[in-house]
Amino acid sequence: MLSLTGISKSFPGVQALSGVNLEVRPGEIHALLGENGAGKSTLIKIIAGAYAADQGEMIFDGAPARWSSPREAKRHGVQVVYQEFALFPQLSVAENIFVGHERRNRFGIVDHARTRHEASEVLARLGASLDPRASVASLSVADQQMVEIARAMVHRVKLLVLDEPTAVIAGREVTLLFDRLRRLRDGGVAVIFISHHLDEVFAVCDRVTVLKDGELVGTSDIAGVNRERLISMMVGRDLGDLFPPRRAAAAGGQPVLRTEALSIAGRVRDVSIELKAGEIVALAGMVGAGRSELALGLFGALPISGGAIFLDGRRFTSMSPARAIELGMGLVTEDRKSNGLAMLLDVAANITGPALDEVTTRLLVDRRLENAIARQEIERYRIACRGPQTSVATMSGGNQQKVIVARWARICRTVLILDEPTRGVDVGAKAEIYRIMRELADRGLAILMISSELTEVVGMADRVIVMRQGRVTGELQAKDATEESIMHLATTGHAA
Amino acid sequence: MKQETNALALARQWLVDNSSLIGVLVLIAAVCLVGALTTDRFFGCNNFLNVYEQSTDLALVSIGQTLTILTGGIDLSVGSLISLTSCLASGLINGDPDRVLPVAALVLALGTCVGLLNAALVIGLRVHPLIVTLGMGAVLQGVTLLYAMGPVGKVPPNFNFLAYGRIADLPLGATIAAMLCMLVALLLRYLPLGRQIYAVGDDDNAARLTGLPRTRVLMFVYGCSGFGCAATGLYLVARFGVGQPYTGVNYTLASITPVILGGTALSGGKGGVIGTLLGVYLISLVSNLLNFMDVSKHYQLVAQALIIILAVSVYVNRRRAV
Amino acid sequence: MTEVTAPPAQGNPDRGLIAALRGLLARFGIFLLPPALLLLGGAISPAFLGASNVSNLLLQIAPLGIVAIGQCFVMIVRGLDLSVASMMATAAVIATGFSGSNGDVASIVAAVLAMAVGVGLINGLLVTKRDVSPFLATLATMILLQGFRFAYTQGAPSGNVPPLFRTLGSGKFDGIPFNFAILLVLATLFWIVLHRSAFGRRVFIVGGNPVTGRLLGIRSDLVTIVCYVLSSCLAGIAGLILSGYVGLVDNWVGQGYELDSIVACVIGGVSLKGGRGAILGALAGAAIIMVIANEVLLFGLPIQIQIIIKGAVIVIAAALYARRT
Repeated sequence: MLSLTGISKSFPGVQALSGVNLEVRPGEIHALLGENGAGKSTLIKIIAGAYAADQGEMIFDGAPARWSSPREAKRHGVQVVYQEFALFPQLSVAENIFVGHERRNRFGIVDHARTRHEASEVLARLGASLDPRASVASLSVADQQMVEIARAMVHRVKLLVLDEPTAVIAGREVTLLFDRLRRLRDGGVAVIFISHHLDEVFAVCDRVTVLKDGELVGTSDIAGVNRERLISMMVGRDLGDLFPPRRAAAAGGQPVLRTEALSIAGRVRDVSIELKAGEIVALAGMVGAGRSELALGLFGALPISGGAIFLDGRRFTSMSPARAIELGMGLVTEDRKSNGLAMLLDVAANITGPALDEVTTRLLVDRRLENAIARQEIERYRIACRGPQTSVATMSGGNQQKVIVARWARICRTVLILDEPTRGVDVGAKAEIYRIMRELADRGLAILMISSELTEVVGMADRVIVMRQGRVTGELQAKDATEESIMHLATTGHAA
Repeated sequence: MKQETNALALARQWLVDNSSLIGVLVLIAAVCLVGALTTDRFFGCNNFLNVYEQSTDLALVSIGQTLTILTGGIDLSVGSLISLTSCLASGLINGDPDRVLPVAALVLALGTCVGLLNAALVIGLRVHPLIVTLGMGAVLQGVTLLYAMGPVGKVPPNFNFLAYGRIADLPLGATIAAMLCMLVALLLRYLPLGRQIYAVGDDDNAARLTGLPRTRVLMFVYGCSGFGCAATGLYLVARFGVGQPYTGVNYTLASITPVILGGTALSGGKGGVIGTLLGVYLISLVSNLLNFMDVSKHYQLVAQALIIILAVSVYVNRRRAV
Repeated sequence: MTEVTAPPAQGNPDRGLIAALRGLLARFGIFLLPPALLLLGGAISPAFLGASNVSNLLLQIAPLGIVAIGQCFVMIVRGLDLSVASMMATAAVIATGFSGSNGDVASIVAAVLAMAVGVGLINGLLVTKRDVSPFLATLATMILLQGFRFAYTQGAPSGNVPPLFRTLGSGKFDGIPFNFAILLVLATLFWIVLHRSAFGRRVFIVGGNPVTGRLLGIRSDLVTIVCYVLSSCLAGIAGLILSGYVGLVDNWVGQGYELDSIVACVIGGVSLKGGRGAILGALAGAAIIMVIANEVLLFGLPIQIQIIIKGAVIVIAAALYARRT
């Protein structure tokens, strides 16, 4: 269906792709793997018509193809579901699905009823029960993704590209997605599947291609490789164990933070938990269970509507980020690009962010001191950048995440909260982040990790707290925490 | 998050989405109430017809402005374009009744073309519409002054039917404006292009990625804005009998206020022309009331500003989440 | 401040050099324009480069430059200040509202600053606490000030500007205008504030994303409000200086400065989306606008053509320096 030969593409100063070959057959699900910065996004954009390759040829469905725009590619049957959704927040679900291809009646005017009706149909086929009239902005991230996929489905699709589709969904929704993909495949559609979740690649893909640093490493049938081989192809070295070992002694020293019947702005209700020094506690649950809201509430970014937080021996019924930082807390947010990093600034500024006063003398910023601090952290965490003054916008996801972790690790004394710390992060950087987390815990911090990736939860946590619909449904010690037991608590509210 | 599909949730969403429309209606009612209580001549058919009639010029230009703002852009060239078209109209007609129709058609076409040019520059040069239209506005003002440094030309006496004529006992000009508004509202709702206008305004990047015909959309909205300006220019000539090179100066900023009062966000993607029309009526009502209350012109400005501040501070956006 | 640098050059060293040159040009090209334009003017008429003409140019650049500094701050925090021209006029009117002698200078300045702080607070509060769009909020205060002005003067401004302002506004020392010296002082001061101080860093963070700022413990709302207050105060100062330059009193002193200052900033690289900008850029933009305005006079072109050229320059400059990615 699709055949790329010798594709090269460069941007000012960066060679994004050189000499990449890719072949995707009709009726196959083809995985595209590689670390962040390996060139997958660029390749996809070329396939989708958003970029034009500098060199090389593309043949689609038997004919040479050189798209002049995404619209042209779409017309030929190429549909892409991007990782950062191309959705319109203020438009409704139905309108989003049909935008650009509005359903009309015989007079040529938009038929809103028909739009809604057909939207419901498509969504039903995907197993999602969404109200077509709801605005996309009001949906959860997982539901938004359903809308994106639905949009790709309504058009005649010959090649479907999914960029990190499971980054924001889990469990039942993933299974549904895979069913649908298999059905498409059996119907002769070619699918390109980009993901960092190797388990899923093995679960649903037929063949796999690995890119590294803009070049092709290799292509293989899924049966011909295993996990370790894929990782070493992507990273170029053997990674060994992904998760650092837990301390032998039972984790948990002094309780550092405690909440008593904490309620946050209607999304979290009556939560009483405890975090101890040296412990990594995972907060698990389905998307929408209220975990991020709890984190934001602990950090003071959302108002406390009931209950109290106990920290440092004091009782708090209201909190603000400034105060939380003073108390030694830190928060690595879920969406680093939108509210974690100051995207327009450099590494040094991002690292000193919450501790600006530290590098300020007589109202002025001491850049030398700031850069020195940044250099230290860059070295300590092996952040790949040219120096403290590198703009964070040009860095890969994994390195960006390291900057944020470095920022907080420096000044946290009590609690560090991380919300989906390895989302959109490649395997190599993931391992490093896990290592950093364990080191910080060993240093005496209490770590609260929100994660929807169960392997990560099971692999890292000393203790797992599960939430559902704003409440805590259970707690599991490491030895009792299995993917099944966690899922059970997350979906039904009681233990298996 | 569970999806509430029942009617109650949808009703709630409708209320939130249209909160500004409701706000404007409330304010209109409030002004009427104040007027009814303070003066007896305010709350009468005659006066309301007066207000209706006097809102024509602002209405004509604000409808086009609504469209450009909906796409996340803006048209700052409206003032100069109004000046240009009014001068050209009265200058070219120059009192000759036979010329009226062809010149009017020419002027309308010219306005539309200027709008299209704006759109072309925005797309081709990839510069923000604010700057493109600002620059274009200056260019148009210069061109206007080249044509006429003062009042120019004249129109035959019965040309003023546009401004003062009546249709079914209602002022013609204002009714045309209202009908244009309805037409545009229908276009926005029922034409695919209309829906795409909202999409482009909502997220231009997503519009690009999904392959929406941005060029077509922008051409349409700026073309309409240009058309609206030309219509306003014609109307002003009908009203005053002559075109003047600085006649449009105040309309640039004035055309934006009713748009925002009516609930269209400056960032685009939300709102509509009905709200704008209501905003225009509100502004006219307030002026009218202040005139009645014999408020000195100086204080009227203060009052206007205060009303704007009041109106917008009431629309507190609850989406203050972190 | 940290501007986004081009990604690292890899491989081909020549490509790296060209990319570096291009990067330099993009960042500093704007500063080459004013001198280039001056030379152009000189080529047309040697008197253009003469000391007295240059010093007149500087006289005209100063007030716009001062306003542009304030506008720069506001634009970086994702705002716009349309009320600056009105603030300038109000300052001018207040300047003439007293006895006209130097003894009143202190009261005049105090009154103007008090007014400016008030206006800035209204703007800032409306934008942060009421989520009003900056366009509308500052438009409202613009009209409000206008109303105040008309009411204060009853439509007929009269009175004299104290001699001190006349000197500062139009006087020169050894060919260098006083107001330009004031501009330099203010520009240096605010350059330090924006690009070197902790407050300036916070301005950039909040401008990039106020939510990010809050999560870093910054009081984003306060930072934004201070920026609006700064803008109004600088506009007030510019108004006082301009009143000294203009001489007569007028309800419309500074007309057009609101859009001109925005354009100066945009040409100078301040992004309309916020988070990005530089004082020097804004000043370069102001200089470009004024030099072109003057140059056009050189050609003996009628005012109509001048306006056309101004408009065209705005668009061309933006196309060169302010492309959207």
